[in-house]
Amino acid sequence: MLAIIIGTHGYFAEELLKTAEMIFGPTSNVKAIHLIPGKGVEDLVKEYKQAIVEMDTTDGVIFLNDLFGGSPYNAACRVAMESDDYGIAAGVNLPMLIDMLSLQPMAEKTSIVEVTNRAIAAGHSGLNSFHRTLLAEQVEDEL
Amino acid sequence: MKISFVRIDDRLIHGQVATVWVKAYDCNRIMCCSDEVAKDELRKQLVLQVTPPGLKAYILPIQKAIEAFNNPKYDSFNTFFLFTNPTDVLRMVEAGIPFESVNLGGMRYVDGKTQISQAVSVNEQDIEALKKLDERGVKLELRQLAKDPKVNVIEKLKSMNL
Repeated sequence: MLAIIIGTHGYFAEELLKTAEMIFGPTSNVKAIHLIPGKGVEDLVKEYKQAIVEMDTTDGVIFLNDLFGGSPYNAACRVAMESDDYGIAAGVNLPMLIDMLSLQPMAEKTSIVEVTNRAIAAGHSGLNSFHRTLLAEQVEDEL
Repeated sequence: MKISFVRIDDRLIHGQVATVWVKAYDCNRIMCCSDEVAKDELRKQLVLQVTPPGLKAYILPIQKAIEAFNNPKYDSFNTFFLFTNPTDVLRMVEAGIPFESVNLGGMRYVDGKTQISQAVSVNEQDIEALKKLDERGVKLELRQLAKDPKVNVIEKLKSMNL
């Protein structure tokens, strides 16, 4: 099974996971790791490694981090340098996490590079704007 | 037209439906069947603008949905049907649309309704329609999230003396 590790500044990771469960239902093989004041990159590296030991990583590990270049991301890079089976996607949002949760049980045939690409695509597809003057003409086909 | 899935959810296309349900049940079209919503231009626009990428969605009055279903022009459609209430589902079944199973996912509570699950409340008209669907052999399952266990609607109603 694919292991998902969400690593963020503050408790965003845990709360994002709880939010995703409102939509997706209960999850498994997902861990939330937090950088809180007083902790550093070294602590995060340790926590990531401990999480990996505790998880089913047969289909690899995907790190979802909140900020490209931030400490949770930098720590994930340090861990990900140790294995081809680890990948990282930065800029985690709810659509990205939900997509990874749906992929999780069927990730067997997906390489971790494809998994990271898919995470980024899902994150992008969740970004949309709305303004009433910009509502595209909804052309309803003649059914 | 193929039937991918049938769900009753009065929010129609929204978070859970757009991100999880339409992926759990392979489909290429979403058809929201409701006379009321089809008449409401604003609500229609707002529902359609959240159609997930890669899918096409329609909001049709019941009669038009029946005609579309029976039109061979739409044979390539594998449709995820959304309804706001069981009476509309019954209208389509009575018109010969072969729905085998219906998921009861979300009907919000309003005064006079009885809550039968966290996400579903029913009134007398809903209960009558559900019983008629059951008599016609349509399977009815209560489930808010795709991963939740399926609960038999008729047994649930019986257990609550409804």
